[in-house]
This record gives sequence, C-alpha cells and structure tokens, in this order.
Amino acid sequence: MKTLIKYEFLKILRKKSTLIVMVVSLLITAFLFALPIMQYQAYNQDGAIAGLEGIKYQKEQYLQLSVVLTEEYITDTIREYQKLFENPDNIGYDGYEKFLIGDAYWNFVAPREKLLRTIAANYNKPEEYKGLRKLTELDITAGANFYKTRNEKVEALLNTPSLGMSEKQKEYWQDMSSQVKTPFRYGYYEGWEIIITSFELLMFAVLAICIVIAPVFSGEYQAGTDAVILSAKFGKTKLITAKIVSSFVFGILAFTLHIVVACGLPLIAFGVDGWNLPVQIVNSTIPYPFTFLETVIINIGIIYLVLLAMISLTLLLSAKMKNSYLVLAVLVPVLFIPLFLSPNGTTGIYNLLLFLLPYRCTMPELNNYISYQFGGLVLDVLTLRAILYPVLTAIMLPFAKFGFRKHQVLT
Amino acid sequence: MELKLQNLCKQYGAKHAVDNVNIKLVPGLYGLLGANGAGKTTLMRMICGVLKPSSGNITLNGKTIEELGEQYYIHLGYMPQDFGFYPDFTAREFMLYIAAVKGLDKKEAKTRTENLLHMVNLSHVADKKIKTFSGGMKQRLGIAQAVLNNPSILILDEPTAGLDPKERVRFRNLISDLAKEKIVVLSTHIVSDVSYIADTILLMKQGHLLLQEPMATVTNSIKGKVWEVLVSEQEVSKYSRHFSVVNLHHENNMVRLRIVNETAPSIDAHIIEPSLEDLFLYHFGEEAQIERSNGNENVN
Repeated sequence: MKTLIKYEFLKILRKKSTLIVMVVSLLITAFLFALPIMQYQAYNQDGAIAGLEGIKYQKEQYLQLSVVLTEEYITDTIREYQKLFENPDNIGYDGYEKFLIGDAYWNFVAPREKLLRTIAANYNKPEEYKGLRKLTELDITAGANFYKTRNEKVEALLNTPSLGMSEKQKEYWQDMSSQVKTPFRYGYYEGWEIIITSFELLMFAVLAICIVIAPVFSGEYQAGTDAVILSAKFGKTKLITAKIVSSFVFGILAFTLHIVVACGLPLIAFGVDGWNLPVQIVNSTIPYPFTFLETVIINIGIIYLVLLAMISLTLLLSAKMKNSYLVLAVLVPVLFIPLFLSPNGTTGIYNLLLFLLPYRCTMPELNNYISYQFGGLVLDVLTLRAILYPVLTAIMLPFAKFGFRKHQVLT
Repeated sequence: MELKLQNLCKQYGAKHAVDNVNIKLVPGLYGLLGANGAGKTTLMRMICGVLKPSSGNITLNGKTIEELGEQYYIHLGYMPQDFGFYPDFTAREFMLYIAAVKGLDKKEAKTRTENLLHMVNLSHVADKKIKTFSGGMKQRLGIAQAVLNNPSILILDEPTAGLDPKERVRFRNLISDLAKEKIVVLSTHIVSDVSYIADTILLMKQGHLLLQEPMATVTNSIKGKVWEVLVSEQEVSKYSRHFSVVNLHHENNMVRLRIVNETAPSIDAHIIEPSLEDLFLYHFGEEAQIERSNGNENVN
C-alpha cells in the first residue's frame, strides 16, 4: 500500500500543472494576506504612517491599553470621554453628528478608538448603530454596568423576533454566553483580527487543491491508462484507497503551506500579541467563550474539514466524469456561487443552509447566533460544520471508490 | 488452465458489438483477426474485466471473474490498444508503479522490471521520461508492463499498431518468446502479425466469432477457392471490380493476380494453396478493401 501511495503522490507532484497551480495559488494567498499589511495606516496629528512603521506606531499606542476591562476602568473611560465632550472647543459637527476634534481626539480617542467603539457598541440596542455618539448618551452615575448591559443585550438579541429562536436555542446560547469570562482583558490583537476577517480568502487555496486533485481518477480515463490499472490485481481495490490517501495527503500538505503563509504574514507583521485575549473585545456580545488563538485554531480546523469534503467531492466527480474539466465545471460553482449569496437575517432554511455552504464555512460567524435544532438537540453553526463535513466526506468517498471500481473502459 | 467465454454479448443500444461468443481457451497463442469494428477490442476488454458484458459470462477454471475477484487479475496481463502512459514518469518508475498495482512485492518488482526492460531493449532509457519515447519504445514498454506479473493469460490488443516493419518483426518474436505455457490472445487486423506465431486463429466479424481453427488447418475452409490468373494490364481493373484480388504481380506486360472466389474467375485460372491472408480477404473482402484503400495494409 505504501508503494502505491508513494507513486500516486508522485503522479500528482510530477505534473507541471501541479507546480503552476500551487505556485499561483500561494502567490495569490500571500498577496491577499499581505495586502492589509501593505495598506495599513496609523494616524496621528502629523498625518498617516503607512505599512510597518504604522504598525509599530499603533502597537506602541496599545501598550497603555493592555488592561483588564473592569467596571471601574470602563466607567472612567466613558466619563473621560463625556467630560471632553462638555467642552465646546473639543467638538466638531459634520451636519449629522458631533464628534471630538483637535487634541481631545488625538490624545484621547485616536489611541483607543477601537476600545471606545467596542464599549459604545455594548450599549447599542440590537440593530442600533450609533458609534461613539452612544457614549455621550450614557448615564454612568451608578457606574457603567458594562457586563450587566452586555448580558441584557445578549438576552435582547436572543429574543429578537426575526431570529425566531426556540426556548431550547435560547437556553443553548445563554449557557454558552455565560461561559464567557469577565471582566475582559484588553490589548493589541491586530494580527489575529486580520486573520479572522480574511479566512474566506483561503477558498482560492481550496479551489487550487481541487484543481490539482481533479484528474486523480478522470486523468486515468483521459490518458487511457484506466484499462491497464483496472485489469491489475489491486486496480479496483487498494489502488483506489491509495489514490484517495495520496489526494488527502497532498491536500493537507498543500493547504498547510497556504495556512502558514496566510497566518504567518500577518503574525510576522503585527506580532502574535493578543493570542490569549477574548474575542469579546471586538464585539462584547459574541457568545463563544474563545480567545483569538482558539478562534483561529477552531476555524482553521473547520476549514480543513471543508477541504477534505471538497477533495472527496472532487474525487467523486473525478471517478464519475470523463475528464477533469467537467469535474471543475461542477466544482467551481459549488465553491463560489455562495460568494454571491447574502444572508437575509439569520433564520429561515435559506439562511441556515447558506451558513453551511463551503464558502460560508470559512467564516467563523462569531457575531451571529446561528443555531440548528434537531428535536431536543441544539447545535451552533461551528459545531454543525464540524459534524456535517466529516459526514459528507464519509458519504462521498465510498461513492468515489464505487465510481472508479465500476468504471467501464469504452474508448 | 481453461478460460471459457460463454454466450458472451455486449450491446450498445441496438448495436451488438459482441454477439453470443463462445470460446474455450487453453494455453497457446490465439490470433484474433477481424476488420476494424469487428468487436475484437470489446471482447478483449470483457476478458480483462474492464467492460461488463451485457450477458453471458467468463470463467477461469470454472469460476467467474466476479467470484475470483483479485485472484483472476493475478493471472492477467493486458496491453490495451492505444493505451496511455504517465508522461512524467520514467520507464522504470512506470514499471515499478504497475508492479505495485499488480501486487508484486518490492524485490520481485525490481528484478522483474530490470529483466523486462532489458528484454524489450529499454534498459538504456530506463530513467528517461516516457514523454521522450518513440511510438515503438512505448509499445515495447506496453508489452513489458503486461508481462510484469508473469501472467498466465496475456491479452494483447493490436500490439503492433504504429510500428514499422522491422519493429513489428521484433515484436512478434518477443511475443512468441513470452507466450510459452500461457493463454495469449493477440488481436490484430494485420494478418502477418499472427500468421507466423499463432497456434489458433479466431476470426471475428460484426461481433460474431466466425471461426476458431488451429493455424495448421485454418485455411482448409477456403481450399479450392483461391485462384491465380495471368491477365493483361488492361484487364486488371475489370478483375478488381468483380473479384477479391489479394495480390497482383507485374510480369513483363502481364499481371499475375491472386483471387479469392468461390468459382474460377476465368477459364485460365488455376487453384493455388490458400494462405491466411486469403482467408481474411475471403471473409472481410469488402471491409478489407476499404481499409486498404484508406491506407491500412491488411493483406500484406
């Protein structure tokens, strides 16, 4: 079996097209994940600081923000913001809203704008977007009550009529949300945020791997080697397993290389700072009790499962179709049509299915309370993805095997 | 060892590619003759288990292919018509790969690969990529892979296609050497490929097996139907229109014609000893003529 796997692996690697597709795909991935670094800009009173210099400047600004977001700290921060707002000299107006300007902005808001926005958003009602303006409206005489407000907001979100959540689903999310540790620790997390918000770009890598895998079976039909191998002792048995194993090995190795590039570039540029911070510092109502590192690991794990299922689908199509172009003609729409589909709310069969499609599965969707109920069992979207894709893999592989074993040499 | 084809049929829609073929094959070299489209390739694919018969079955020593599974393929070597290679593999890698698919252990695979590459005169290019090989080299590699597992059933589908006459002779001798104590079925529409080496001739036409005869007696059926006649050059076209002319030979201003026909084509004609080519033309006269006019030299 080892020898068969070795040669099947060699067959994949030896093709010039493999090298070309992989190099192009790696370059695209590197470019896409390097783009936020190249385009990064930090601002101070003197203007914009671009690229690595900007990153360095911003990191320094965050040094004083590496704090625990206690009620006291949040209250003081809001109070200070409100105090600055009391001075008319600090206020600008664009015809729509008032905002801090001048030293008040550059000395207080600019270094901690993300933190202020996270705090402000915590007090917005569901589907309310007031930005920093919200901070000026808050009554903090009895303290900020940040975490109490967070819990109330989670509760309000769960009861949003458009979500149409069952009591079981509400219980599920309440239970999960209660596991989020408070108070949150704040700090610099730019690199991780870029990775988390760019995960969908890895679909190009998935497609590239599927392009390379597409001829695994159909290539034998195209080359006319099917008759020889199918009439050999292991042609209908071990060889098929060897083809599947080598495809998976190739897929995993190639994808790992992409992951290294995709995660490596932002983490080298922005640093690994923030790996142990909770994702709630981006959005306080995220129900998942994860740190940034945990989120990245879990989501990469899910993308690997999606990849394996897509490889299985590719192999199934490859075993059934006459050539690899036909395989790709089916595969590309499966992978990329969801790109053009947007969720319209968070419930309904359309949305629930949409969040399970391969492209959507690359996105963690931490902010959305997407859950699936099967009788008394409630599963969040991440868990269901982690179950669904291995199941799909397990279903498709026997069909791929069967397809090749029963292939008839007609031409 | 006995390979039996019983009531074997393959239908594509209304077309019968192979129609109720019954053959019992024992060790020996079988020349499977037939014009293009006669059903030779379809029959061979079914023997090799890569094409499912519409009905009938194939048994080896009384057991069907399905019953035997891998145990059937252990005995099988197959060189399909126009079969492909992996262009980026070297000849040695290709042989070792096929050896692995055939279930040979590593040591045996290496030894057999080296011996066979030497035998087909490809040792000196064993580490060259197959994409650099000529048609003849690929054909030799094709036969080498077919016998890697020392099969007791060797199926060769048009193995000499695309070879020049010198290579064809070399190939014929090679097959003859390999055929000892094996069931070898060699399909061709080139009569000379099998006339020297076959023990038995199988003749297929439009999916039917027309005859199965030992080489020594295969032409008996057309004894008294092969004629030779000396005609003027002007008369040649007339004879060609009305009879199956196997051969013509110019002698001064006259032409000596070899004709296959039930009755004497002229009063001057005399009966001669029939050959396999005559038999082929007798059965495939019109098809063979068409192929010949298309550039396929069937009756050479």
